[in-house]
Amino acid sequence: MIPLQLLTAGASGRVTQLMGGVEEVRRMEELGLRAGAAVEMVQGGNPCIIRLAGNKVCFRRTDALHVLVEESQ
Amino acid sequence: MSHSTSSKTITVALIGNPNTGKSTLFNALSGARQQVGNYPGVTVEKKQGRLRIDQQDFTLVDLPGSYSLAPRSPDEMISVDVLLGRRDDVAPIDVILCIVDSSNLERNLYLVSQVLEFERPTVLALNMQDVAREKGVLIDVEALRNRLQIPVVEIQANRGKGIEALKQTLAQAAHQEPARPESPFPEAFQEEVAFLERVAREHSRDLPRYLVERLLLDTGGYLEPILDRDVDQGIHEAIQEARTRLQKAGCPAPGVEAMARYGWVSKMLDGVASRPSIHRTTWSDRIDKVLTHWAWGTIAFVLVMLAMFQSVFYIAEPASFMIEKLNGWLAGVAESVTAEGALRSLLVNGVIEGVGGVLVFLPQIFMLFFFIAILEDCGYMARAAYLMDRVMSRVGLSGKSFIPLLSSFACAIPGVMAARVIENPRDRLVTILVAPLMSCSARLPVYTLMIAAFIPDIPLFGLRFFRLPGATMFGMYFLGIATAVVVVFILKKTILPGQAPPFVMELPTYKLPSARMVLHRMLDRGFAFVRRAGTLIFAVTVVVWAIAYFPHHESQISPGLLAKRSELQHRIESLENSDAPSAETLLALAAKEKSAVEAKIAGEYLKTSYLGAAGQFIEPAVKPLGWDWRIGCATIASFPAREVVIATLGVIYNLGEDETDAESTSLQQTLRDAKWDGSDRPVFTIPTALSVMVFFALCAQCAATLATIRRETNSYRWPIFTFVYMTSLAYLGSLATFQIGTWWLAG
Repeated sequence: MIPLQLLTAGASGRVTQLMGGVEEVRRMEELGLRAGAAVEMVQGGNPCIIRLAGNKVCFRRTDALHVLVEESQ
Repeated sequence: MSHSTSSKTITVALIGNPNTGKSTLFNALSGARQQVGNYPGVTVEKKQGRLRIDQQDFTLVDLPGSYSLAPRSPDEMISVDVLLGRRDDVAPIDVILCIVDSSNLERNLYLVSQVLEFERPTVLALNMQDVAREKGVLIDVEALRNRLQIPVVEIQANRGKGIEALKQTLAQAAHQEPARPESPFPEAFQEEVAFLERVAREHSRDLPRYLVERLLLDTGGYLEPILDRDVDQGIHEAIQEARTRLQKAGCPAPGVEAMARYGWVSKMLDGVASRPSIHRTTWSDRIDKVLTHWAWGTIAFVLVMLAMFQSVFYIAEPASFMIEKLNGWLAGVAESVTAEGALRSLLVNGVIEGVGGVLVFLPQIFMLFFFIAILEDCGYMARAAYLMDRVMSRVGLSGKSFIPLLSSFACAIPGVMAARVIENPRDRLVTILVAPLMSCSARLPVYTLMIAAFIPDIPLFGLRFFRLPGATMFGMYFLGIATAVVVVFILKKTILPGQAPPFVMELPTYKLPSARMVLHRMLDRGFAFVRRAGTLIFAVTVVVWAIAYFPHHESQISPGLLAKRSELQHRIESLENSDAPSAETLLALAAKEKSAVEAKIAGEYLKTSYLGAAGQFIEPAVKPLGWDWRIGCATIASFPAREVVIATLGVIYNLGEDETDAESTSLQQTLRDAKWDGSDRPVFTIPTALSVMVFFALCAQCAATLATIRRETNSYRWPIFTFVYMTSLAYLGSLATFQIGTWWLAG
């Protein structure tokens, strides 16, 4: 398991866990960023651009929320 | 209620995720028959449209775009209350129309699963078929209809496809039984909801099931206000007990909701919708390769912004010029039909100038809204926000503050309103508080006048195209931005502390902007500005006129001037009746002399008016800024609306009204010639001109903006805070500019 932002551009993975405040986690889940969701890193950096269920989403990491992913081979 | 007769109007609520084409569908269904207002007490736009399907009247209620119906603020509560029929100002909902993005059903059906729990007849509109097709998403619509057991209509809202079929489906749905789907929640949760419903009834509380469910899930306490702390103590305790039991049962609130709903979504979509396992590169991806690239993207961003501001000013200028001419003509008409006196002055200097003062900025504001609408509709705005997030996050804001601040360069009022898109309340407030620091179009005339009159046109660094006047103008815009950065930084460290919330924003697929949508948005926002700003700016201009006009008694004027005027009047009358060959030349001379005397009289009237008295009273305070009482006077007059300063300066420096505008060379000359009272020392030096510009760049001289801040923050505290901090900064900035400037020129 690695933090989402450590995925290199082009790599994909599956979200395993969201860690952070209840409300932050809930907002992310409503946006589709939830345990089990497939993600692909489109462009690294901070904020990074990820692909989530076919849509592009830009995401900036903060200390309030950590997204852990399992990188797929 | 579901068996409504055809005589009754059927109310349809329109709901959907952001970026699903909801507004486009709203416009396609209701056309021009729309009503826009505000829900009282909150900052949610209340938008309703009317339509007629087969002799049946429908009201379409547009609800704000949202990913979920889990309210966390009074603003988000509106949608839930409307859908539950708990609002007096919206008719009970007969049908819910839910629009979804076909290319992302996984996420969009999350909202649908909440909507179905309202147990109203529901229609699903599958929009953006083209995007889904390009991404290789396949949907078996018939199978989806069977799974969801509600009508499903395929539409392409931006091309008007499927709208007729959708209308027919809506008409039928109104007479159908509501959907009664199985609950997505596990057994244990449903039992607790039933338990709480019983408890609520025992406390003679008739709470709809959806609200009971939300109360159970709302661990943040956002829904507490719907319960009464004392009366509903029993319900409150029951909720706590239920949560403890759910925790033990392995479905803790609020986490159980996402689990349950996404579980339901994948059950609904299993074998119904599929997407290719490997993402197909689309046109949008290719464009993004450039536009979100750290180097190319930034260059493109700067070019887009430059092009936008250049076009805003170039295209809007002739229109503003026409409006000014029209004002002049109207003033002429008013002068010819009224006698000299208070009424004429009120009409010409109060009403026409007041309305004109608002109208002159309209072309620029409409043009800026036009470009912003294009950038939003084609999908670029989200990319701009993404690029700006890197910069904004350094000072503790997010990319979402970009659009409000951008709009503020035209006018802070739409900028403050645009801050509604920021979900984080603290970020939203900080953005609202610094939005008025962006140099709006009303500051431009002040900059133009001061720069043209006092900043020497010399090249900088030996470059022919980079000259001092342009650099000064740029400097004023930069000053506002730099000050905003510092203010944000301080606010985030002091009174509004808090971690930067995670920033997540969708980057919608690029598309060609639709002309209809762009025009609609431009007019919508433009007229919202006219309604909100127009009335207030007009009112304060009349007030300023009154304090600058009264007491208006002849005893205020020095007898010499009055004698001179009547002497000239006699001379003109006798010359008009004279046949002497030189009469015409002499007449012209006398007329010129008389208008100079009239201008001096107007100047004396102003000097001895209430406004003039106030200007002289504050002179000791503004002297360190390099200002005489006249500038002080003009500045006081411009507190309600800063654009008033030009006209006031013209009158106070004894220049005829009609010769006064920012580009007028005679006003520039008059200012250059202005002397301190009783001396030969010129009032305006380069440091004074700069000090005036800095003051206007930083000061909160706009009553309409302050009123908007009050409305958007629902408190008097923040407009007062904005006024105090900006005015203090303006004074200090202006003081520093003048003192350092004088010292530097002397040294």
